[in-house]
Amino acid sequence: MGKPKVAFFDFACCEGCQIEMTNYGAEPFLELLNHVEIVEFREAMTEKTTEPIDIAFIEGSFTRECDRARLEEIRERAAIVIAYGQCATTGGINALKNHQDDYKEYVYGTDSDMPHLDSQKAYGVDAAIKVDYYAYGCPVNKYEVLQIVLHLLHGKEPVIPNYPVCVECKRRETVCRFLEGDHCMGMVARAGCTAPCPAAGIPCEACRGFVDDPNIPALEKVLVEQAGFTPQRAHEKGRMFTANALEATS
Amino acid sequence: MSSMFIKDDDFSAFVTTMIEAGPVYGPVAKRSRFIFERLESPEELRLDYDVTILPPKKLFFPPAQDLIRFDADEFKSAIDPEEKVLLGVHFYDVKGLDQTDLLYSERNFDSSYMANRQTTTIVASNIQNVSDRAFFASVGAGVPAKGHDAFLTSITGGYVFEPLTERGEALLKHGAFVAATDAQVAEAEKVNAEALTKCKEKHEHSAEDIAAKVAAAFDNEDLWSELAEDCFSCGSCNTVCPTCYCFDVQDTWNVDAVSGQRTRYWDACLTADFAQVSLGEGATENFRGSRGERFRHRFMRKSVYLNDKLGQPACVGCGRCSAACTADIADPVRVIDRIMAS
Repeated sequence: MGKPKVAFFDFACCEGCQIEMTNYGAEPFLELLNHVEIVEFREAMTEKTTEPIDIAFIEGSFTRECDRARLEEIRERAAIVIAYGQCATTGGINALKNHQDDYKEYVYGTDSDMPHLDSQKAYGVDAAIKVDYYAYGCPVNKYEVLQIVLHLLHGKEPVIPNYPVCVECKRRETVCRFLEGDHCMGMVARAGCTAPCPAAGIPCEACRGFVDDPNIPALEKVLVEQAGFTPQRAHEKGRMFTANALEATS
Repeated sequence: MSSMFIKDDDFSAFVTTMIEAGPVYGPVAKRSRFIFERLESPEELRLDYDVTILPPKKLFFPPAQDLIRFDADEFKSAIDPEEKVLLGVHFYDVKGLDQTDLLYSERNFDSSYMANRQTTTIVASNIQNVSDRAFFASVGAGVPAKGHDAFLTSITGGYVFEPLTERGEALLKHGAFVAATDAQVAEAEKVNAEALTKCKEKHEHSAEDIAAKVAAAFDNEDLWSELAEDCFSCGSCNTVCPTCYCFDVQDTWNVDAVSGQRTRYWDACLTADFAQVSLGEGATENFRGSRGERFRHRFMRKSVYLNDKLGQPACVGCGRCSAACTADIADPVRVIDRIMAS
């Protein structure tokens, strides 16, 4: 068997997660090419493919009905589909518009009626097609992505954490943001990033989304009682990367 | 072995000489808290610390510990024991280590933990400042700390150093020690006795009464659901606990796709997937799927299940879980008070 064929596709996103693939440094990236053949990746090559693919990385959220056909076409010829990055896994930042109806006017101003700017609510790509694995994060953790690929190459199930960022903060002995009078969402945020933000004194914004079963009432309670948030701010706090999950739990 | 004394003025030279002789780990400041870390100089040592974020267990079993490294079909141990001195361990953490020493050596001898445990000289020290959440005076009170090699107590003008083993005695050569006077030994005893009076929290019941009541509350689902209502399932109470000892093992490959490592990580029974097990053919089951069940399990482990084996509860009263719990629902004193009143 030849090297598995890997392709990258993008929908509504900044393509930053694809750029992350080029951030390993030359050596690891080129070594990875000994094991996979990249057949479509518009950030780094001009070739495209209509052939069957072994692993399709799909970046970006599903926010236009007209994208459904293209997603289905990718699904049809891909053995494995990986939702790649937060927009593709949960809708990401794009889902911030989902509770609003005037976003087109204030984002695009006088251009807002142009037809290509028309969009619906933003969801992860699994709102349109079946997804096999999820690479979370804004951006993705490139080392986790590497392990996902290496596990798949060995026929193993990739291991994606379903525990919160608190686990990773404690393991590295980060002083809790709450103990320093700050706020944080690490208690409900999916780990796997190794918790660099709290270690640098910055609250976790849950850029990998929530764990599968986040305790949102407790999050709001803690943000009000310990961080001094208003109830409304506490309620809206979780929305940045997780608007769809928040809607599902409230 | 008789107690020795070293003057404050000579203490820093003692630590410097130990550092020159080999790695020395001790409590150092980290932002507003403390951690055990390898000392670069005696000035970093903070024997006035109240409690560290993680217990000293991490020096024998780090939160992520490579067990083996493999390359194609070959593999070798990644455990590389280091002769070292661990300085400034409070007695509750000595008790915690004594418990993990037993738990990692009975039945299956855990050489990955024991390798570094056996190459470490532990110098305990008196508690100069008591953390707000500590309750070490009222848990396992009749059980003395053991397993350390020496005990250091800060008194007027210097430190009393009590060697307990040959390894502890061997450290005397690094400093200007003289025999402690009876008055100095008496002062050290008084200092250590007084530390036990300074906890703001305490258990009001005996370990036996607590064990009986907690065990009897097993089927009280409403109680456990109530206690766990605000639980984030973040496992912080487990991760910071000196007596927790569960771990998860995972393989990762290097980018050559042939070599890699097998690593074990501290696991936490409060996290949602801890009890998720395979039923084969892709099916799984979680035998502690609710917050209440996981919360209950922790209290069974800490105050009931291990008491006979350990001769004390699997809790040393350090209060780390209470401080680490963002929702502030993990405090063993408050939780057990609630259970006792149920």
